[in-house]
Amino acid sequence: MAEEVKKAEEVKKPRKPLDPNSAKYKLGKIASDAFANTIEAKKQGKPVAWVSSNFPVEIPETLGIWTAYPENQAAGIAARGAGERMCNVAEADGYSNDICAYARISLAYAKLKECPEQDVAMPDVLLCCNNICNCMIKWYENLSQELNIPMIMLDIPFNPDYEVSDAQVAYVTGQFWDAVHQLEDLFGLKWDDKKFEEVTGFSCRASRAWLEATAQAKYTPSPFNGFDLLNHMAVMVTARGKEEAGEAMETLLKEYKENHEKGESTFRAEEKYRVMFEGIACWPYLRATSRGLKDRGINMVTTIYADAFGFDYNSFDEMIRAYCSVPNAINLEKSRDKRVKLCKDNNVEGLLVHTNRSCKLWSGFMAEMSRQIGEECGIPVTSFDGDQADPRNFSEAQYDTRVQGLMEIMEGNKADRAGKEA
Amino acid sequence: MVKDILAKFHEVAASPRAQMDKYMAEGKKVVLTAPVYTPEELIHSMGFVPMGAWGADMELNRAKEYCPAFLCSIVQSILELGIKGAYKGASAIVIPSLCDTLKTLGENWKYAVDDIKFIPMTYPQNRKPDYGIAFTKAGYERVIRDLEELGGKYDAAALVESNSIYNKHNASMRKLDEVLAAHAEITASQRSDIFKSAFFMTKEEHTELVDQLIEELEKTEGTAAKLPVVVSGILTDAPQLNAVFEEFGMHIVADDVAAQSRQYRTDVPECDDPLDALAVKFANMDNCSVLYNVKKPRVQWIVDTAKARGAKGVVVVMTKFCDPEEFDYVMIKKACEAADLPLALVEVDRQMVQFEQIRTNLETFRDMLMM
Ligand code: SF4
Ligand code: SF4
Repeated sequence: MAEEVKKAEEVKKPRKPLDPNSAKYKLGKIASDAFANTIEAKKQGKPVAWVSSNFPVEIPETLGIWTAYPENQAAGIAARGAGERMCNVAEADGYSNDICAYARISLAYAKLKECPEQDVAMPDVLLCCNNICNCMIKWYENLSQELNIPMIMLDIPFNPDYEVSDAQVAYVTGQFWDAVHQLEDLFGLKWDDKKFEEVTGFSCRASRAWLEATAQAKYTPSPFNGFDLLNHMAVMVTARGKEEAGEAMETLLKEYKENHEKGESTFRAEEKYRVMFEGIACWPYLRATSRGLKDRGINMVTTIYADAFGFDYNSFDEMIRAYCSVPNAINLEKSRDKRVKLCKDNNVEGLLVHTNRSCKLWSGFMAEMSRQIGEECGIPVTSFDGDQADPRNFSEAQYDTRVQGLMEIMEGNKADRAGKEA
Repeated sequence: MVKDILAKFHEVAASPRAQMDKYMAEGKKVVLTAPVYTPEELIHSMGFVPMGAWGADMELNRAKEYCPAFLCSIVQSILELGIKGAYKGASAIVIPSLCDTLKTLGENWKYAVDDIKFIPMTYPQNRKPDYGIAFTKAGYERVIRDLEELGGKYDAAALVESNSIYNKHNASMRKLDEVLAAHAEITASQRSDIFKSAFFMTKEEHTELVDQLIEELEKTEGTAAKLPVVVSGILTDAPQLNAVFEEFGMHIVADDVAAQSRQYRTDVPECDDPLDALAVKFANMDNCSVLYNVKKPRVQWIVDTAKARGAKGVVVVMTKFCDPEEFDYVMIKKACEAADLPLALVEVDRQMVQFEQIRTNLETFRDMLMM
């Protein structure tokens, strides 16, 4: 679900070197170091885990287990143009092309053990958490079989109710400590409460800065282009339990604040319209999807990711509840209300929905939910078909037509409002 | 006699609505149960008639207002039937969140079908440890609260009774599966009717009829199978699919089908408290694509069962867009290859009208098995 990468064009075009004190530099470095450091650690015989994006990172961070995030890796591979090639490898083994493309790419990697577009260290253990989807369970089960390594399953079921029940907290808590003990036994490690406290502190610090940075879109024009978030989010996925993540996120916040004060923005066009983007980015077409908006003066000012990594908590129970409340684990009403809040807080004028062929859960009740968001916020809603990583499921022409349609309605609404005010 | 019993199964399997009307006319309340597992024993014990809702072979129209095209047709057709009023009169639908698509069914149901209450059943995937059993029990308690709002009443003694009625039915279905393996004169369609009708009858009635059939069949020497096969998948009730099995002389000697034998493998154990017992039953369940088990014992189960029953091959019937099964398929394929067990894959969905592709695939498979 979550993942971030350098934009495809950045990989190709040499650019002027970034200021090492800038948030972009720091965040980019944390994201790329995450892969490189784990590869290095593996060489030194340290234990490495492949981890689901919303697994409680507090566990491997506290125990000192090195991590790599297959979703993040798959996004990188897709953004650099190798999604189809890797999907084909998995499909040749019998995986249906209906399966989530991240899973296909990752299973292909488990087989090939290399992909120049984004290598990772091979794992000694799998840390699976299904708070984003049950597809994750099947994917990791197969990885465990193929690689013949243990899998630790932290089950956080989809919550059909608005609030997290005490029964669910008890269930997840039981599993949390079970996971810790299994890892201690597997690698001869020892849980350290002091270290845990430190890690949770880092995680909360990074989360707070992230929430505040993304909230700067409350200003018109927004001090940033929302596509930035899709990239910076990598750090929230892979490194939120590390000290440098908080520091880099605070730099980001500072820059966004300064942008606002100076009337600048990373959105390099006149911001005529403000939309919320729903869904995972189409990594293979990041440039096309971004340009389709920018050329029309549409800034994607917010996404649910702005809320997704708000792992800010004050107690163990609150931490568990936060992991039970990630976007794909919550019911329609709660999902809707979070988005309505983002739309209202950030003066959103339209909702652009990515109907993602890879993600059944995310897209499965999106039609009804986005109708409700549109009504409650009085904004138009448009969707387009795509896929986060398999380039075969996206049509640039359809995207363009839909975005144009959305823009025309937003334009009409603006004119209406201007008419009323006059 | 066998003919009459089979005709009865067919009648029930083909007309679930008539069954529902019959129960409602008797003053009973009906609760729909969605795939793959629901606590039917509990629903039964609270005075409701649980009726399976696994969709129907039909065109989808209204469901498209809610579902993207890439959700399985079982879930989409359940929603379609709900919107169109096919389940009118049902008191509630219990939907478990065992796969991603089922999670979305419940959410859509709340807005698409407002006269039938959605009751979620949240099962744990780490279902075996004590904390998992406790969570299953909490899920049941949630179902109890919702059913009480509809006039049901929870009573431990009644659940003890229902658990035993369901265990008896399980035993009969397992026996039936064994007996049918030796009776190739019972066709794939008839076999499908027997299993399908179990969703639309009270278990008391179904057990009685199944027991009668077993008794009759055991009086005769069964016809030996020409081509014994094991069938695996979620749902295999499409008449055209079963007609193809029959055309090519394939006899189902065992199934790993979610809508068939997977329902009946595990009994409610003896425990002091019947609700605990029902939670332990779920903990003990396994060998299914929607029940987490890192060792995937299901895969070996298929190979072992095929060997034990003398099957010449395995047919995987894939419900299009069913990702839990699509992941398992690769492992099943590997295990069958390693065991020298021929395997065929056919894809079905509930809007399918053209079965030519399936026919061709299974014809080739037949030819290969006959060589
Ligand atoms: S199915 Fe959806 S949530 Fe799950 S890994 Fe794929 S894209 Fe992410
Ligand atoms: S057929 Fe598969 S995807 Fe559809 S409801 Fe059943 S398990 Fe889920």
